Amino acid sequence: MAHIKVVRRSMRPEEWTDLRFGWLKRYIYEEKFEIENLKVRNARQVGENEYEFYPEGWQPLKKGDMYFTPDGTAFFDADVIIPERMQGKELWFSLKTAAEIIVKCNGKYVGGVDPNRDRILLTPYIDGNTALHFEMEGYNRSKPDDERNPESLSVRGCRQIFEGAYLAVINHTVLDLVYDIELLLDIAKSDSFNEDYRAFINRELNNALNLIDFDDVQTEDVANAQKYVNDVIFANDDYKGNGDVALVAHSHLDLAYYWRRIHSVQKNLRTVLIQLRLMDRYPDFKYTHTQPQTYEMLEKYYPEVFEELKEKIANGQFEPVGAMYVEPDCNIPSAESLIRQCLYGQSYYREKFGKTIDNAWLPDVFGNSWVLPQILLKSGVKYFVSNKMSTWNDTNRFPHNNFIWRGIDGSEVYACVPPTHFITWNAPSSVQENWDAYQDKNSGGQTLQMFGYGDGGSGVTEEMIELMHRFSKVSAMPKTEHLGGSEYLHKNLDGNENLEKWDGELYLEMHRGTFTTKSDLKRMNRKLEYKLREAEIISTLNHLKGATYPYEEIKDCYKILLTNQFHDILPGSHIHPVFVDTMKELNEIDARLESVIGTGDKYFNSLNFKREHLTFIEDTDGHSERLGVKGNWVIPNIPALSSAVIPWRTFAGEWCEIADYITTPFYKIKFNKDGSIESLFDRELKREWTDGEFNKLKLYKDNPGVYDAWDILPNYKEVEVPYKIISPLKTIEKSSECAAFEVILGTEKSTWKRIIRVFRQSRGIEVENIVDWHEKHVLAKAQFDCNVLTREAVCDLGAGFIKRETHRNTSWQQARFEVCHHKWFDMAETDGGIAIINESKYGAGFYENSASLSLLRSTIRPDIESDMGHHEFCYMIYPHPQDFVSAEINNIAYEYNVPMVKADLTCENSFGELFLQTMKMSENGKMIVIRLSEQNGKRGQIELSGKVKILNMLEDVIGEATTLNYSPFEILTVGIEI
Amino acid sequence: MENYIKNILAPKLQGDGGWIEFVNFEFGVLTVIFRGECSKCLILDRCIDWIKQEIKRDLGINCEIEAIRKKPFFWDN
Repeated sequence: MAHIKVVRRSMRPEEWTDLRFGWLKRYIYEEKFEIENLKVRNARQVGENEYEFYPEGWQPLKKGDMYFTPDGTAFFDADVIIPERMQGKELWFSLKTAAEIIVKCNGKYVGGVDPNRDRILLTPYIDGNTALHFEMEGYNRSKPDDERNPESLSVRGCRQIFEGAYLAVINHTVLDLVYDIELLLDIAKSDSFNEDYRAFINRELNNALNLIDFDDVQTEDVANAQKYVNDVIFANDDYKGNGDVALVAHSHLDLAYYWRRIHSVQKNLRTVLIQLRLMDRYPDFKYTHTQPQTYEMLEKYYPEVFEELKEKIANGQFEPVGAMYVEPDCNIPSAESLIRQCLYGQSYYREKFGKTIDNAWLPDVFGNSWVLPQILLKSGVKYFVSNKMSTWNDTNRFPHNNFIWRGIDGSEVYACVPPTHFITWNAPSSVQENWDAYQDKNSGGQTLQMFGYGDGGSGVTEEMIELMHRFSKVSAMPKTEHLGGSEYLHKNLDGNENLEKWDGELYLEMHRGTFTTKSDLKRMNRKLEYKLREAEIISTLNHLKGATYPYEEIKDCYKILLTNQFHDILPGSHIHPVFVDTMKELNEIDARLESVIGTGDKYFNSLNFKREHLTFIEDTDGHSERLGVKGNWVIPNIPALSSAVIPWRTFAGEWCEIADYITTPFYKIKFNKDGSIESLFDRELKREWTDGEFNKLKLYKDNPGVYDAWDILPNYKEVEVPYKIISPLKTIEKSSECAAFEVILGTEKSTWKRIIRVFRQSRGIEVENIVDWHEKHVLAKAQFDCNVLTREAVCDLGAGFIKRETHRNTSWQQARFEVCHHKWFDMAETDGGIAIINESKYGAGFYENSASLSLLRSTIRPDIESDMGHHEFCYMIYPHPQDFVSAEINNIAYEYNVPMVKADLTCENSFGELFLQTMKMSENGKMIVIRLSEQNGKRGQIELSGKVKILNMLEDVIGEATTLNYSPFEILTVGIEI
Repeated sequence: MENYIKNILAPKLQGDGGWIEFVNFEFGVLTVIFRGECSKCLILDRCIDWIKQEIKRDLGINCEIEAIRKKPFFWDN
């Protein structure tokens, strides 16, 4: 039976203190004058600084009126004469709001208000004028910044009640005492501090507040109370704290998440502006800000604020950090995309501020690929910062906070994984919690605490700085020091020989679903990464023949792709409009790159090895069909970096017997009716490849909870979702190169057509999937129980591979039940194995001899419609002799991912076994830049026909050579002057 | 009415992480489903009033709204 437990007791002393503290805050404003002639005009943002206005136009706005609309921006306007009684006094603007509002007064940006701050100092910016004209722009967010501020949580929602706007004068005596008490109450209420000290604070705060008569509050009494706090509480040093915490001001900004990217233009402006105004007031205050893309937006739309920002960079208060163009996902993007994040990010910082930033600042990314250290190091970055492994891992405690991270090729960077979240409010309790959680107390120097609200919460508040200024008065707190980001990294990590080393990927034991959520984004990302490669190679070769190189067009397309690799865009963790925007942008650059690539009479092989594996060439008169397009399966036989006509020759002989078993030159196959393979006998290698369910579509209930788009739980296999065979396997094609079999599977809501192809001239078995997907909370995988005894799966990382254990011996393997890979994974014995090659998938799971490729999810938060509708994608099963290197699986996967295009070009290929990752014109237009990547774990040497410049990844010349020595997984960049 | 909800109002609510779906409009009563952030919004009534005003302005129809909240399982407690 429901009942209410009634507790009757007297008020505790602490509650009496809290009550009086609340009363005291009412006296912060000494005088207030309501601005009564405000007007509001509602709009909705539809582009970067583009708005659609509601037809009502300007309307009066009075206290108590409803304002803001769903996804709404509102513009405000008011004129006010400063009342005589307030003239000559320090004047503030006050507006308590749930929205994020930029405020201009008399044409100057004076600051911003939002749920975390409700006043702006006006006096320094109004030049003694008594007539004030206010212009404001507000964006109402129904989701407050990371739900960190309980006060802002309580006012979330699309429609808000206007609480009035005021001119105000502050009583600084009251405000100073408020901050003192704020600080001390935080300690008194925190379990992280000594119990006796907390009792002391509670007792003495009560005594201090007893000096104020709350029936008749007098400033003199408040001053006496503050003196008591100083003389009795702050003067006490009987209670000793320990620790050393560096406080770095920062505001994390998701470019898109529960808001569209277009809103980040204003979110960023507000954040920058508010921090600039704090710098005006507090000369010791310094703030770190990431993502050159946000600086670029500020420069484009708010040049006057950008000029102020440059001044604050010059005086050292405003610090650009993070060499990457945005804070990208660091699992899914290719190595070249990560390099371009650095190249375009650093180029911007160099051009605008004359700085090369030596840190990567990636607090919120969902794990970090093993290829990163080399890319960072060769892009001028020595320091890496990322928070999530320490605070979000669901299984193992990541063992370091300050350490050395060793990459796949042996490159080492200094790494900092701070012990606590990247959004904190700089209270004593959060400082103490950080120190308590810090694992490298004896080796890592100071611990890093970032403070400041994020995501449009606009960073640091006046309160945070005021509290920070009082930390040294509290003997029970750790020692603190306010530092810049770079300052912290240099001071504590540079040359620190005591640091431990982590050699491997920085796997986040959470958010494993982001390798799969929003399948279309992943498909377009893969396609465009290779299309950009193609466009640059073709444009460079055309340039050598006299054509103009499309610098700006390629760079612009690249920047759009890089922006959409942001860590809440590409991983799929965003609301529906973000997905719509992103797909539109990606489709637009797809079309633009098509124009850059152009056409020709012959097919061009942009790969720097001979294309000799079966490829589908589109042809309206073709004999086969793939993904709804007519064409032919042919072996191009085009040498590296050459073009040729691909002839089509019909094979007249009988090569495929279709009976109970399908017999091809390579296999004898027995299919099940659902398209899975009961037996895959290798006629060449004389071995069976299956050992259970193989190429079996598996549907699982996928209920990870609130982090729906992000997570897959370890128990996801517990409940399978049944499906039926709507149309059993039947033969749909038997041509001279390919035999294809189609099956249609279905649930009550979805249909899943699978077309399985076997070939005359290829070991590959391709599986095409055409899906009408309408499930909710279902994860689709293709399972492969392989007749292979192995304890490791090899996964492509895009520029090298990683071996991952397939057993579950320890919690570290258990946690990695779903991992990220790129074009392929492979499970093999020493004389053969099975590779699964894909052209758009990234998630995979391994257990003993079983592998699964994650295909689709169907999550509902943050996007109700995530992944709903039509999908088309292919993967290829590729049994092979020998190991994956000898079998050239990586090259085969490149051929599978890089479509043939028409262009009449040739180029000398002298790159040996290295992969030609990029060929482009240098950013300064003076060199051809060639990037070569060792991907098979080998060491070697390339003799060049002439002298080349050795470049870093920022295209700086660092040497010259005629011979290139390379080591396993090394990425080399060279320049050829033209 | 269905087109209006789907094409004019829904994108606005989606911009805030919310979701609205048309169910039917009979005898002056518009029935809609709210999902996503709307499903647990503490001040959804304010938004419903706004929807009524928008419909009146754009379609010239006075209507009552019957709101069905469909919370996802992880918020349904």
